[in-house]
Amino acid sequence: MVNATKKWIFLKVSSVILIPLMVWFIINLVSIYEKDYVDIVSFFSTQPSKFLTSLLMVVAFFYSSLSISEIFEDYIHDEKIKNIANKVMHILFIIIPLIIIMVLFNLNI
Amino acid sequence: MENKNPLSPHIQIYSWNISSLISISHRIIGVINILALTLICLWIALLLLGEVNYEYIKFFLQSFLGKFLILCLTWSFSFQILSEIRHLFWDLGYGFELITSKITGLIVIFGSFVLTILIYLIGKQII
Repeated sequence: MVNATKKWIFLKVSSVILIPLMVWFIINLVSIYEKDYVDIVSFFSTQPSKFLTSLLMVVAFFYSSLSISEIFEDYIHDEKIKNIANKVMHILFIIIPLIIIMVLFNLNI
Repeated sequence: MENKNPLSPHIQIYSWNISSLISISHRIIGVINILALTLICLWIALLLLGEVNYEYIKFFLQSFLGKFLILCLTWSFSFQILSEIRHLFWDLGYGFELITSKITGLIVIFGSFVLTILIYLIGKQII
């Protein structure tokens, strides 16, 4: 399979997973953002919120990594700068979800 | 070797229409959303600092600016959700006719505001 085809399939599969997760997360964010510390920690430290938030972050950063590399492809002319920008973004977009998963599994009331 | 290809999608020279407006907005809002999710990750990470330190964040989130930012985030999520659904329909082969594309474009724009209100009301348990 051609790389571009693989990339397109990954993009579409992650998009299908991301849509319900975004709906779930934004509804819950609106419901908890003004609440007390204990309520917010309780939300993120219990299931299924812990799992779904982790999944959202992994899928969202994976999806963004693929789609932002398309933006770089369209707007950055210089190959060297484009490669560096892609590498920096890929590393960041792996580290951020990993950190947040570790944080979520260390959160306790 | 230097790439001589022109940059796409030539947003400076094409005349604007609904499709191009939604297309570039989809990209910009996608980038804004991932920056927002990064800030949300930071917000969750800051919970580790404990209840006393969280008071500053709580104060900000309960302020007008905090509420406004959450409302903006709700809209940007709503816009991306609807625009992404429109893209998925295209991938299945539906909605390419000019008139259908214009209608679905308008649904994304106006629907994002309706969805924002709906999500906010559901989140606040008003409905």
